[in-house]
Amino acid sequence: MKTRRHASLHLACIGLLASTALLALAPAQAAEAFKLAGKPKIAFIYAATVKDGGWNESIDNGRQQVASELGYPIAVAESIPEESTALKNAIDLYVQRGFNIIVTTSFGYSDGVLEAAKKYPQVAFLAASGTTNAANLESFYPRTYQAWYLAGIAAASVSPNKTLGMLGGFPVAPVNWDINGFALGAQSVDPTIKTIALYTNSWWDPAKESQAAKSILEQNADVIANNLSSAGPFTAAEKAGKASVGFQLDMSKMAPKGHLTSVVFHWDKYLVPTIRKIVDGSWEPNQYGAFPGLAEGVVDITPLSDKVPAEARAKIEAVRAQIIAGSFSPFSGPLFKQNGEEAVAAGAALDDAAIWNMDYLVKGTVGSVK
Amino acid sequence: MDIAFLGSWLGSVPTAAIPLLLASVGLILSERAGVVSLGVEGYLAMGAMAAAAVTLESGSLVLGIAAGVAAGALLALGFGIAVVLLRAEQILAGLATMAIGLGAAGLLGRDYVHRTFEGVTNVDLGSLAQVPLLGQLLFAQDPLAYLAILLTLGGWWLIARSHFGLRLRAVGEDPATADVAGVNVQLHQLFAVTCCGALGGLGGAYLSAVASNVWVENMVAGRGWIALALVIFARWDPLRAILGAFLFGAVEALLPRLQASGFDAPVYLMGMLPYALTIVVLVAASCSRARRNAEPAALGQSYIRQDRR
Repeated sequence: MKTRRHASLHLACIGLLASTALLALAPAQAAEAFKLAGKPKIAFIYAATVKDGGWNESIDNGRQQVASELGYPIAVAESIPEESTALKNAIDLYVQRGFNIIVTTSFGYSDGVLEAAKKYPQVAFLAASGTTNAANLESFYPRTYQAWYLAGIAAASVSPNKTLGMLGGFPVAPVNWDINGFALGAQSVDPTIKTIALYTNSWWDPAKESQAAKSILEQNADVIANNLSSAGPFTAAEKAGKASVGFQLDMSKMAPKGHLTSVVFHWDKYLVPTIRKIVDGSWEPNQYGAFPGLAEGVVDITPLSDKVPAEARAKIEAVRAQIIAGSFSPFSGPLFKQNGEEAVAAGAALDDAAIWNMDYLVKGTVGSVK
Repeated sequence: MDIAFLGSWLGSVPTAAIPLLLASVGLILSERAGVVSLGVEGYLAMGAMAAAAVTLESGSLVLGIAAGVAAGALLALGFGIAVVLLRAEQILAGLATMAIGLGAAGLLGRDYVHRTFEGVTNVDLGSLAQVPLLGQLLFAQDPLAYLAILLTLGGWWLIARSHFGLRLRAVGEDPATADVAGVNVQLHQLFAVTCCGALGGLGGAYLSAVASNVWVENMVAGRGWIALALVIFARWDPLRAILGAFLFGAVEALLPRLQASGFDAPVYLMGMLPYALTIVVLVAASCSRARRNAEPAALGQSYIRQDRR
């Protein structure tokens, strides 16, 4: 189930992308604000256990933040299978019990939650890594590539061999953009730096991930960036005396010596303001889903380790400020694909539809998305 | 592909192969006694979880690995009691055991998920490991890998050469005749099934304590099923299981290395390889006459004396 959930999370995004792609064509719709009936009662529905050390745990941290900041009662359902009937039963029961704000946390729920949103127009739905949207339903996923770009700068600053490695699950857009963001961040420090991209073909196999990390280390890589959430690669890097970068949660405990930083979610930065709006009646769900980033604080990097030199710290701080101000995009042109083809010309940057469509790796990476 | 590449590739094969090997040797023991232990995926999960949890609690890897073995054996003993003494249908009971193992491991291991610990380190034989090509494979493994090979040889001796093995095989071939000859059928089957659990538990402990130094739910990822296929490939012979397990290990270790060295290979296709290999192996095995001769004749049948004809 967990495997499917992870797969889903990212595969998901392809669907979201389809709707984003339409954004360019469709005339802007004036969405109507959603009115909540009665007192807010919130429920979170997870596809796996919330102590998974990755995706679900990060969202559950956000939920706890919501509970403490807004003070509403929050119910939690774990390990609800990603099939419409199971989800439907859970939602039906919650709605019957008077819950009127429901947060789902898996791509696999996308269709089921849309059905539920149609059935219960008086209930507000928020779907993490979902692909569907409606008048009372908003999907959300952050621009993780922005934070990965910053991590790439940090990684390049500690790489005498000019070689980095990154592990991903499957070659789908949200993984590709993380790898590309990381590689481009590194190249902004040193254009000759090489990033080895390795897909393990699973979201959850620590033994396989350790093997993969070792294969990267055998290629003289100085840093292992782990886009998956298991500990194997961190341990492998730590044993080899190499640096590492984590994802989803702060992974510094996994590699006390080599950890440089982790790209982490701060889901509360999206959930708290959104739920506030739902409660005060000013919520207008984005018909193409929410795509927040560093500026909103939904994704960020953890404090850099002492291994990162001062020069790199200053650069990371400066670039971070530029991204937040909106004056810089990691995917600014000229940007070249692995095969030398130009992805975006100088002076322009990839738009959201192109980012959701990212099915390639950038120049300077070793690896295959096929 | 230079010597260094081949050397490091071969050197990493055992890490991928040993859990498969231990699980399939356990299965061979069980099946030679006529019991199909489909729950092996669950034994692996219990072993992996218990090894990690006890190591984290006690700080002792030896205790942790022993706990992994015990957890697998305990689950298998439950299965054994159900199918051998209570005559439950083996396939269904096996599937249930697998589900219980996976579920219990997830539940009991809840507080230990994702906590890394210092795992088993490789032996250091100094310059021997520098021998080109085979140095890393033969002389730079972890102690458990060597132990696993010894256990496999021991398992082979037990089955093929010992008096006990003769009785065990008799039970798997024709329990009624064995019974008449004075062999305690139930006891032999229970022993074999429990050994299968212990070896599966050790394989799971290897996954968490050696291969990844962490426990997470679902980390066994279908290895138990590959082991089931390996048993047929090995024609119920532990020595041939070494060959099969290392073949699978070699493929698993090769895939990331090809990718990391820039070989332009289709990811999905390569990810499919071990499973495609499983099917090829099964088809090849079922085509051969040797397989039909090797399969224990009473495999999957439950027996008690009153049934004797």
